[in-house]
Amino acid sequence: MNKLFHTAMRRALPLLLLIISAAAVATAQDPRVQTTSLDHLVGKASQTVNVNIDERLMQMTAKFFSGADPDEKKIKEIISGLKGIYVKVFEFEHENEYTPADVESIRSQLRGPSWSQIISINSKKDGTVEVYISMTNASINGLAVLAADPKELTVVNIIGPVDLEKLAELEGQFGVPVLDIEKPAKTKKLQDFGLKPQLKN
Amino acid sequence: MKSKITFLSIISLAVIWTFITTAQAKADEFGAVVKTIERFYRVKHQSIPFLARAGMKAATTAAKIRGGQYKRLAEAGSVKIVFFQDQDFDSRGSIANFKNALSSAVGDTWSPLVQTLSPKDEEQTYIFIRDAGKKINVLVVTLARREGTVVQVDLNPATFAMLLQSPEDMGKAITDDASQDDN
Repeated sequence: MNKLFHTAMRRALPLLLLIISAAAVATAQDPRVQTTSLDHLVGKASQTVNVNIDERLMQMTAKFFSGADPDEKKIKEIISGLKGIYVKVFEFEHENEYTPADVESIRSQLRGPSWSQIISINSKKDGTVEVYISMTNASINGLAVLAADPKELTVVNIIGPVDLEKLAELEGQFGVPVLDIEKPAKTKKLQDFGLKPQLKN
Repeated sequence: MKSKITFLSIISLAVIWTFITTAQAKADEFGAVVKTIERFYRVKHQSIPFLARAGMKAATTAAKIRGGQYKRLAEAGSVKIVFFQDQDFDSRGSIANFKNALSSAVGDTWSPLVQTLSPKDEEQTYIFIRDAGKKINVLVVTLARREGTVVQVDLNPATFAMLLQSPEDMGKAITDDASQDDN
């Protein structure tokens, strides 16, 4: 009986390891950023905005924008293929009401293997803006923006094929705040405002 | 034979009773939300007068959103609404607790779409949505320091898609539309 158990275990172990590693890879490639660690800021913030648009809603919305109307056609193109838009904005009355640990709870997720930082802007006055993209099989499957200024903390997480150009077009729509992030071709202009863009691959 | 008929009757009654109670439970999240607000803030709602409710059935009124003219948002006859007026909405610093209580009242069949909170001003807006086949159920809870509104409407997907472009304005647009008196 004992021998049978050991034989079964020996055969099942590689399969089990394969399942565990597949699950780990799947988790690592999931471009959804968890923001529940920031929920405690609700009581401290002077204003909180939380928008959750999931895949089903995105697809339904895309379906109902007409391809004939030029404005609607443009929106349809922007949101086609997107699988979700998740936004959390905390505005504070005073500085230092959120901690570096709060920011780190988000940033640590964006250090995962599928994520790459493409923009990092640091300004003493305006705080930091970091933009990350998630890649899977050589294509973008998500984007995250972490914007932390002294009185505001913003996390934007867009799931699906989205680049900076699409992000710029989404600003002010579907809950995505206006972030004033320059498109890649124009990033040199940021230096004119005393900001330091750092482009990374 | 007689006992078989009795057994089948009991089973049928049980199935019907289960169906009715499930349907009631499913349909009562609106009431649960109103009760949660009343319990948490110790306030009392007022229902909208009958004549004003009748006026909501007109489906041709234009509502302006994002600068364009559109037909009435809510599907005719789908509006549920209660008001809280001249009452004190003071969470005494525990607005997060209210948020949790509200989420429990709404249950799992609804998905949270938008939440905006301003604890200092006691201003809160919550929008929950639920798939209802060819329509979308939308539940909007809007509270301010002295007043509040709970609205549930059915929207057709095209109207919902249009409103989703500006989710922060959706709550106000739906509440304004639902409380509009056409008389």
